[in-house]
Amino acid sequence: MALDAVFRDQWGRVLATLVGILGDIELAEDAAAEAFAIAAERWPRDGEPANPTGWLITTARNRAIDHLRRRQVLADKTNLLTRDLETGPQPREVLMDDAATIPDERLELIFTCCHPALALEAQVALTLRTLGGLSTDEIALAFLVPFETMSKRLTRTKRKIRNAGIPFAVPPDHRLPDRLAAVLAVVYLIFNQGWGGGRVDLTAEAIHLGRALAGLMPDEPEVLALLALMLLHDARKAARLRDGQIVPLDEQDRTLWDTRQIDEGRALLQRAMARGRTGPYLVQGAIADLHLHEPRDWRQIAALYQTLARQTRSSIVEMNRAIAVAEIDGPEAGLAILDRLDLGHYRYFHSTRAEFLRRAGRDAEAHHAYRRALDLAQTEPEQRFLADRLAETAPPS
Amino acid sequence: MQYALLAYSPAETTDRATRPIPDALAPLLDRPDVTGWTRLHADESATTLRNDEGRMLLTDGPFIDSKEYLAGLILIEADDLDGALATAAELLRTTRPGTAIEVRPILDGRFRGA
Repeated sequence: MALDAVFRDQWGRVLATLVGILGDIELAEDAAAEAFAIAAERWPRDGEPANPTGWLITTARNRAIDHLRRRQVLADKTNLLTRDLETGPQPREVLMDDAATIPDERLELIFTCCHPALALEAQVALTLRTLGGLSTDEIALAFLVPFETMSKRLTRTKRKIRNAGIPFAVPPDHRLPDRLAAVLAVVYLIFNQGWGGGRVDLTAEAIHLGRALAGLMPDEPEVLALLALMLLHDARKAARLRDGQIVPLDEQDRTLWDTRQIDEGRALLQRAMARGRTGPYLVQGAIADLHLHEPRDWRQIAALYQTLARQTRSSIVEMNRAIAVAEIDGPEAGLAILDRLDLGHYRYFHSTRAEFLRRAGRDAEAHHAYRRALDLAQTEPEQRFLADRLAETAPPS
Repeated sequence: MQYALLAYSPAETTDRATRPIPDALAPLLDRPDVTGWTRLHADESATTLRNDEGRMLLTDGPFIDSKEYLAGLILIEADDLDGALATAAELLRTTRPGTAIEVRPILDGRFRGA
């Protein structure tokens, strides 16, 4: 079902509370979908209720109880549920009228969806469905898989959560750092998938999720830093393409950058830094910020990539350090770093290497590397960019 | 909730039947949240019977032939998967490198004591 913007904002909140009440994501999702459909029909006619969230939760909860009652096989569960609701601390009228009495359980939900016992692709899909409010169709389109595949993946994931007893809870302190890192990884993966040029704007989804997390965990520096990082990257969106061609950062029209978003990102970075712990997203945010300055301080960028490489032991980070080093010490120095990396499967490795080789005047090798990069390129603008470079480095015939 | 922990061990050179339960593992198996456990003989002792459209086929050896073999089954009680994983991690620390534990929620069943 398609939700407009107002509904989209409510979806995660309503669903989270329902999962808390009903103890089952599948049941909660069906009930929420029904409540939203009723709202879509009634609200334009009768006007929006004073407390839309409360109305949606109450309606969905009542629908869920109806379903359970009708399904006689679940008779025991129904009795249990009705009793809980009747003796529960929030009578129905209060729930409908007073937003303050509805606990916000989106954090519990996101920690459930991003539990490490679920495959990463399952975590990503379910997070987009439950907290992002995307339809199965939209998620399938974004990840370029058939609808059936995505639908099965979501169903399987929801059932595993229920059957395996994956908790609906914010993890205790001793587990929080690892679990939070998993949540942030999912959000950042969604952001980066959006970069890849799918048909659904996943960057906006990821920023939306990042904002929700920053609101729910305002004291976690890495949460603030991830939001900052995404805002700083996204601020250059309008300048990144010109006539369908990728524009390198130094040639971008800076007047197209979103300065409001850059300011917000920088303010978030300041808040994160003030908390004194330097996690990988804070370092990446600081790097993204440095990239926006002119001229770029490549020494500082290289140093931060070194810090990040130590924290993450990631070859891709090393590759980015090589780019900074090539700016300082020349392309051969960058190539020396690349030669130590095992990134043959990574498309940007070949385009980076090709760029260094071209700058070093090794055109024949550059031509070969651009060919490899073009073979792996996924979006049309990337393909056009690489095809141009391929032609430039072609041997004279 | 009830969980079954399926312990898979890498092959050993010595006879499994002659080795005692590791010192560090024994007290864990006595904990009240461990509701049952069994240690299995090595996989060369296994016989597999398979229903092939009504005919019972007998083969010598385990059903799944892999480097690791199913070495034991431990039944536990835990609040949720996090609790079960924590217990599994404690057990795993007392085992040889290469050992793996598969955590499965129990649907229903009965386990009479040994």
